[in-house]
Amino acid sequence: MTLTDERKPSEEEAANPELERGAERREAWRGFLHAVPAYAYLIVFFVLPLVIVFVFSFASRGRTGRPLLEDWNVDGWARLTDPLVRTIVGRSLLVAVMNTVFCLVIGYAFAYWIATRRKQSTRTLLLILVLIPFWSNFLVRTYAWRMLLDSDGYITQLGEFTGLWGRTLFTLPAVFLGLLYGYLPFMVLPLYAAIERIDWSLVEAGRDLYASGVKAFLRITLPLSRPGIIAGSILVFVPSLGAYVTPDILGGAKTTLLGNFIVTQFGAARNWPFGSALSGAILIVMLLATILYFRTGGRTV
Amino acid sequence: MTSRHAASGRTRTDRWLSLNGWFVFAFLYLPILVVIVFSFSGAANVGTWGGFSLRWYRRLAGNEQLLASLENSLWVALYSTIVATVFGTAAALALDRYRRWASRGTFDAILYLPVIIPDVTMAVMLLLWFTQIGLPLGRASIILAHIAFNISFVAIVVRARLAHMDSSMEEAAADLYATRWQTFRRVTLPLIMPGVLGGALLALTLSLDDVVITSFVQGPGSTTLPVHVFGLIRRSVTPEINAVSTLMVTASMILVFSSLAIQRRGEN
Amino acid sequence: MTASTAAVGIHGVTKRFGEDVVAVDDIDLEIQDGEFFSLLGPSGCGKTTTLRMIAGLEYPTAGSIRIFGEEMGLRPPNKRPINTVFQSYALFPHMNVEDNIGFGLRMQKVEKAEVSSRVGEAIDLVRLTGLNSRRPGELSGGQQQRVALARALVNRPKVLLLDEPLGALDLKLRQTMQLELKDIQSNVGITFVYVTHDQEEALTMSDRIGVMNHGQLVQVGRSEDIYEFPSNMFVAGFVGEMSFLPGEVVETGSVRLAGGEVVRARTDSSPGTSITLILRPEKLHLYGEVSEVPPGRNVLNGSVSRRTFYGNSLSYEVELGASGSFDVQVENVPSQTRWDVGDKVVIDFHHEAASALAE
Ligand SMILES: Nc1ncnc2c1ncn2[C@@H]1O[C@H](COP(=O)(O)OP(=O)(O)OP(=O)(O)O)[C@@H](O)[C@H]1O
Ligand SMILES: [Mg+2]
Repeated sequence: MTLTDERKPSEEEAANPELERGAERREAWRGFLHAVPAYAYLIVFFVLPLVIVFVFSFASRGRTGRPLLEDWNVDGWARLTDPLVRTIVGRSLLVAVMNTVFCLVIGYAFAYWIATRRKQSTRTLLLILVLIPFWSNFLVRTYAWRMLLDSDGYITQLGEFTGLWGRTLFTLPAVFLGLLYGYLPFMVLPLYAAIERIDWSLVEAGRDLYASGVKAFLRITLPLSRPGIIAGSILVFVPSLGAYVTPDILGGAKTTLLGNFIVTQFGAARNWPFGSALSGAILIVMLLATILYFRTGGRTV
Repeated sequence: MTSRHAASGRTRTDRWLSLNGWFVFAFLYLPILVVIVFSFSGAANVGTWGGFSLRWYRRLAGNEQLLASLENSLWVALYSTIVATVFGTAAALALDRYRRWASRGTFDAILYLPVIIPDVTMAVMLLLWFTQIGLPLGRASIILAHIAFNISFVAIVVRARLAHMDSSMEEAAADLYATRWQTFRRVTLPLIMPGVLGGALLALTLSLDDVVITSFVQGPGSTTLPVHVFGLIRRSVTPEINAVSTLMVTASMILVFSSLAIQRRGEN
Repeated sequence: MTASTAAVGIHGVTKRFGEDVVAVDDIDLEIQDGEFFSLLGPSGCGKTTTLRMIAGLEYPTAGSIRIFGEEMGLRPPNKRPINTVFQSYALFPHMNVEDNIGFGLRMQKVEKAEVSSRVGEAIDLVRLTGLNSRRPGELSGGQQQRVALARALVNRPKVLLLDEPLGALDLKLRQTMQLELKDIQSNVGITFVYVTHDQEEALTMSDRIGVMNHGQLVQVGRSEDIYEFPSNMFVAGFVGEMSFLPGEVVETGSVRLAGGEVVRARTDSSPGTSITLILRPEKLHLYGEVSEVPPGRNVLNGSVSRRTFYGNSLSYEVELGASGSFDVQVENVPSQTRWDVGDKVVIDFHHEAASALAE
């Protein structure tokens, strides 16, 4: 029986804390090296461009519309309070919020429906049916609505037949419809991932305790699917705030949204500093959403 | 799992959910179907059926501009996908398999941003940056821009795969005398391959889809297919666009199904 | 016994995770060549961590680990002459049985012909003949376990580490595999370091056992010694069934219980020391009358307070009044009297069957 050997290892033979820490440092260094290509790339082609947007938003407007990095000013940001700009920003926020809410309500019911199908194969099939439009070209999907909503489109014809609506193309409702159509899958997928993962015995236990199905849903299912709700809402809200293709194709001059307004600054209006300030505003919203996302610990995408 | 049944009981709620479900599917599919059907209509007027015809497809085949933009698109998609897949996979490994390096949290956050950033904002950022550093706008700048948003998507998909793969696989390989490279080559890579290919297909799709960013950072002659089509749509609705659209949807479907087939194979 | 002959030498090894988790706390241990050595202890006591440090999957915070006298230091797992059977088996799902087993040899650049002959032998050794081209997903738990074993053994490691290799199997299969593992070990003669939290498994299979608790090695010894002579309260309670009665040493070989009864027992503390008397339930006997007890035995009076039926045996909880209570296990054979709750009984035990453990 040898609990302790009489020959203890000499000092230099024994591993010491320094060695272990050295091994850990080397492991950490390896991890960093794996990240380096993407890290460096994103710093050069994402972070620095992001910073430069803010720099340019304080630049002055040159004669050609190109910004001059001198005569620093806050004109671009000040213009955000213009009545015209305020209307556009307000309208965009409204559209983004409404779109998020619509996507959430319809998407939740939809994702819940898929996630509660009994057979695994049914769930998989339904999910694939969601994936197809998700992967299909966004432009094409938007274009389809242009066809349907135009004067001789089927939706317009249906409206005229029932006497309920006329041509909706180039109006705000058309933009709403297009955005809902475009972003619904972005809401459904994270929601599905979260609801699918729910341990249904908890819901059953909840039904036991709260008796009513509605209460069990509100107190158990809904909180448990929170990561999906947050992820889906951010994935819909932020991009719809800067939507460009949909309002451009389905909206009209009276429905200008932030995305189109920004593009105009870099095109016809030739006001890059102002365009930069507008983009900067969206970026700030995006960063806040990200902080919210990481704070709430959601990670389902 | 058994209690999933309770949640899907034949209740009134469930009937409403089903109704909503099928309604959503109709909402998602009918518009695309209309486009596809009318791409085969012989009539010059978009909304009327003029008998089955392939004339719009034939017209496409002779459209030089369109073919040139398609070629651009394919090159851009190919290069950006390859680079994004390599970088994104390495990034996923760094985040999932090595937990304790210094700025890991920062990197994680930066990697996540390109996923939610609106296209317009990213477009503005890159345009300003490219003009500032004096990079000529053209195919190269489009590729650089596409890599920037694709890395994140690849990393997310691969990371999801890695999360399902126990790291004891790699430990077992090391225990069985494999060097780090051999472990990666023989064990890690084959096991995450479905994720890598899935990520690559997603990158390919996103690259072939992008309109806004490309239209900002493109130069003369480097227009891609979606940007070209976008220009056409803004001008007017023509049966020819239906035909391109149908082809684009078909391409997307092929990509989805390949991706699903790969994932499925990976599970067995 | 010198350091160079030990198959595994663990000297002053400590492992910390972060600042406050001490998973392994200053362990000293030598495992001899050809030995079947088990690390036994409750969940979270540091068994796996110890094993992982031997394998090189984790590096000690302090101390040294030697394999046949060679300092391992920060040597990576692929450079150690050791193989591991993982608890989850960690079979490569994308390779068939043959490729899984041959993996280690291929990584060591062993010639193709030799790889296939050694893989064949290993497959026969673990009795998987005919399943060569199955994928792990197409095998039962027991078969997967054998593949994991063959995959490690085929490399002819100097030491084989096994982390609860039978943990995922059902009881019957577990018992069969225990015997098989033991046979394989004596055939190949490789040192086995076996981690388990199942004391019965450790007792049946091992030459020696190291019992761990809270990161510390609390007793090391031959299986029988661990069972018969636990050196502390933890081992006494963890290995096998045990009853505890508080008391104090009267003189060498004699103990007074809390209720005043004086019994003979093994002691090694000086008179007056507070001790706990430990008794194995199967070493006690019950009688109806004092006259039935064979002469020269310890005798205590008590009453049955609970009866539990186990099939092959019955267990009685016996109340001694102020002295406490303990369990008596009685074989279920026709000659045995059955007692009911409330019956007055006489308990008898040999003085060698009771040990006094100082607190
Ligand atoms: N990587 C790690 N980081 C932090 N703590 C760890 C890590 N690995 C193990 N621990 C902690 O160290 C202690 C010992 O863990 P170990 O896995 O060695 O226990 P064990 O004896 O094998 O238990 P079990 O029988 O449950 O497998 C535990 O408290 C565990 O939580
Ligand atoms: Mg363990």
